[in-house]
Amino acid sequence: MLSVRLLTKITAAGSILLLALSGCDRKQENTDSTLYLIGGDFKGFDPVDSGDTESAEEVCRVYEGLLEYSYLERPYKVTPRLAEALPEISEDGLTYTFRLRKGIRFTDDPCFPGGKGREVTATDFVYSFKRMLDPRRQSDGDWIFIHHVLGARGWAEKGEFDAPLPGFVAVDDYTLQIKLAKPYPQLRWVLTMSYAFVVPREAVELYKKKFREHPVGTGPFRLKSWRQRYRIEYERNPSFSGQRYPDKGMPGDREAGLLDDAGKPLPIVERIVLYDVSEYYTFWQMFLGGQIGASALNKDYFEKAVTPQLGLSDDLKRRGVRLYKTPEPSTWYIGFNMKDTVVGGNNPKLRQAFACAINVPKLCEVIYNNRYTPANSLIPPGIAGHTEKPYAYTYNPERAKRLIAQAGYPGGRDKNGNPLRLTMIMPGAGSTDVRQMGEFFADHLRALGVELVAQQLSFAEYLRREHDGNYQVMYAGWIGDYPDAENFLNLFYSPNKCPGVNATNYQNPEFDKLYERIAIMTDSPERTALYEQMVDMVMADCPWALMTYPLTYGLYQPWFQNYKRHPFSYASSKYHKVLPH
Amino acid sequence: MIAYIIRRLISVIPITLGVLMLTFLLFRVIGGNPAYRIAGKNATPAKIAQITRDRGYDKPYFVNFQNFPRQVFDAQFPRMIGKLVRGDFGESITTKEKVRNILIEGAWPSICLTMPLFFLNLMIAVALALVAAYYRNTWVDRSLVVLSTVGMSVSSLVYIMVAQFWLAGEWRLFPVWGFEGPQYLALPLLIGVVAGVGGSVRFYRTVVLDEMFQDYVRTARAKGVSPQRILFSHVLRNALIPILTNVIIALPFLYTGSLLLESFFGIPGLGRQLVMAIPNGDEDVIYAETFLGSMLFVVANTLTDIAYTWADPRIRLK
Repeated sequence: MLSVRLLTKITAAGSILLLALSGCDRKQENTDSTLYLIGGDFKGFDPVDSGDTESAEEVCRVYEGLLEYSYLERPYKVTPRLAEALPEISEDGLTYTFRLRKGIRFTDDPCFPGGKGREVTATDFVYSFKRMLDPRRQSDGDWIFIHHVLGARGWAEKGEFDAPLPGFVAVDDYTLQIKLAKPYPQLRWVLTMSYAFVVPREAVELYKKKFREHPVGTGPFRLKSWRQRYRIEYERNPSFSGQRYPDKGMPGDREAGLLDDAGKPLPIVERIVLYDVSEYYTFWQMFLGGQIGASALNKDYFEKAVTPQLGLSDDLKRRGVRLYKTPEPSTWYIGFNMKDTVVGGNNPKLRQAFACAINVPKLCEVIYNNRYTPANSLIPPGIAGHTEKPYAYTYNPERAKRLIAQAGYPGGRDKNGNPLRLTMIMPGAGSTDVRQMGEFFADHLRALGVELVAQQLSFAEYLRREHDGNYQVMYAGWIGDYPDAENFLNLFYSPNKCPGVNATNYQNPEFDKLYERIAIMTDSPERTALYEQMVDMVMADCPWALMTYPLTYGLYQPWFQNYKRHPFSYASSKYHKVLPH
Repeated sequence: MIAYIIRRLISVIPITLGVLMLTFLLFRVIGGNPAYRIAGKNATPAKIAQITRDRGYDKPYFVNFQNFPRQVFDAQFPRMIGKLVRGDFGESITTKEKVRNILIEGAWPSICLTMPLFFLNLMIAVALALVAAYYRNTWVDRSLVVLSTVGMSVSSLVYIMVAQFWLAGEWRLFPVWGFEGPQYLALPLLIGVVAGVGGSVRFYRTVVLDEMFQDYVRTARAKGVSPQRILFSHVLRNALIPILTNVIIALPFLYTGSLLLESFFGIPGLGRQLVMAIPNGDEDVIYAETFLGSMLFVVANTLTDIAYTWADPRIRLK
């Protein structure tokens, strides 16, 4: 007879292995000096390929540029980083002269003679900028220079890398000039972006395609190890040039402890470890277990962490976790193709009816758990030109019905009595969130008698349709690249129409004239007034039905200090501090 | 038999082509031109055109009639097949890594998880099936059948979430996430066994029971052969064919990894890479994994057929 002992032997064999493997001697990171953050699927450490948030964050730990954002000050402000001071700008606004700080060195690396990092010179910046414009690199950041820098477009078309580019001049080792084809006051903003960071030619030429795995920068950290799609570890860069924690902040920063480390040398932490956690559920367990310092809150976990009054839940309060809430510089909207025979053209009534038919506060509540707020202007809060003026087309079903009747579609029916049928493209094939949003819009339009077909497309296909102007209505968002309303208003400038960034093909000669004026103006009350005038002009024509402004809600651990979210800067980790925990 | 094997191996071609064709239709034809995604939101039309041209996205999908018949296969799908056959798996549009390197790096973590999982599942499932069959119609058998049914009815996702929350998060018996050493595999293995063993136990029990009512078992019993010997030397041997089918067909998945376990537990294997590649539209990674997966599947099927002749000498492959 088959004995119980035999049964036990066979079935327990596997269990013994599992027990032997269980977590009795788990490897622990050194928590005294380790900063845990969530990672992402990033492209590597090459500034020219750092267009996505994940790549920009990692590039900013190891590389630097001429300018950077002030960490604590608001409104957003640019300060010199590798430049000695802010640039000297010629009277015509066409020449920017940067004096470089002396003694800035690239980190030690075998690409240099003797493995010792050499000093950064103006030639390195000229090389790095040209490399970003090199069409063979296919960088998605070339837009920051190609339309503005003198000779940039011609140089890129010619495709000869060593040919001189007249817009970038290394006057001497420590003086760099950027010459522009036309005034470009946004230059100071784009120079903070990781695309414009300095790289040594020796490293690019030694590592070739593997350069993305071998960062050689001047930044606060240097790469210690990287296991792709799993873990990144940095250590303090011994060559980092003495930067100190800022001693100026905003009201409330001192009380929040954000100025406790004023004047201390940066970076504060010795080491950073990032894990590439793809499932938010897993991330949540790790966060609760104290393995991750800070992260934005996912929609599905919002209600676990935040009360209906938008405060922190009691459980997290007991754990000492803190909540942050930051407006993101982006606007989400429903865009109408102005070339479309139904929704486009000079009659804005149909578009206005569409806007009035959508209950945006309910959208924020039902779809976004109130993590987003209703938008009232093209320009999001925190950027000059944003006003608190109420949105002209807030939810009003009765007004929507009147407007659609005035547009020639009484009861949502055309002249032949057929129901009006509109098609809206949305990015995110297969996404439940996008499907729910499509259903939400369709339900609201149905009340107007309009049949809305929401097409969920893959991101590539969505972009193709948008670039080609091959759509009727689209759901879209624009995330600001820098804190200047010009970055939003260029979406309505007619020379930018499809396949450019003016995806709605909006055309208004008066707006264009004003845009050409503001595009070369420096920050002033006069420019802000013009921004407001331009916004009103667009709002009246209604190429966008405004939807939402995102708010980022995030959590950070009690041992994670000096955290102040900056939506434009990715170079914050040098300021962070980790207490023993 | 050699002719049979050659025929089966030749069948790899249409099967793999068919699978790749479906994948291509889904990601390229329906998914759209990846150049728009690569170029980014501020891209100029010239740049999109350049990427489209450089990467061959401007060519026809399947057949090129422009220079017929000389360049008839100068089209996107035949070019993709040609590259895969030459072992050129291209590069990831997300990370710009060579896909070949991604596959090599991902294979070991996947095998670290799937190989022990495979053997544990097989060992435990066959053992429990033999116990259930031996004690058929007793409380032991019924309990095992009920537990197996319950086990296979619950989604793997539930096991993962419950185990990660309680065993790893609250009780700290296991690491929540990571691939730092063998102990990090314990929880995914435990979940893999619990989630996967139920179905196999039921299947093997049925197979064993089928054999236990055969004449040769009765004869062996009548001759006084011990129950253990009947079970292991006769019944198990004769039940091998369905067991082999079940086992060998699982072999390709040892390489392709476990999508859910790898994703939730941070095991940087091929399953996780595929899960990350799909929403990113990272075509070359998807094509390469599909290509290898389909080839391995056909090869495993052929191996199963060959194994039949070993398990049962009466079987002849023609």
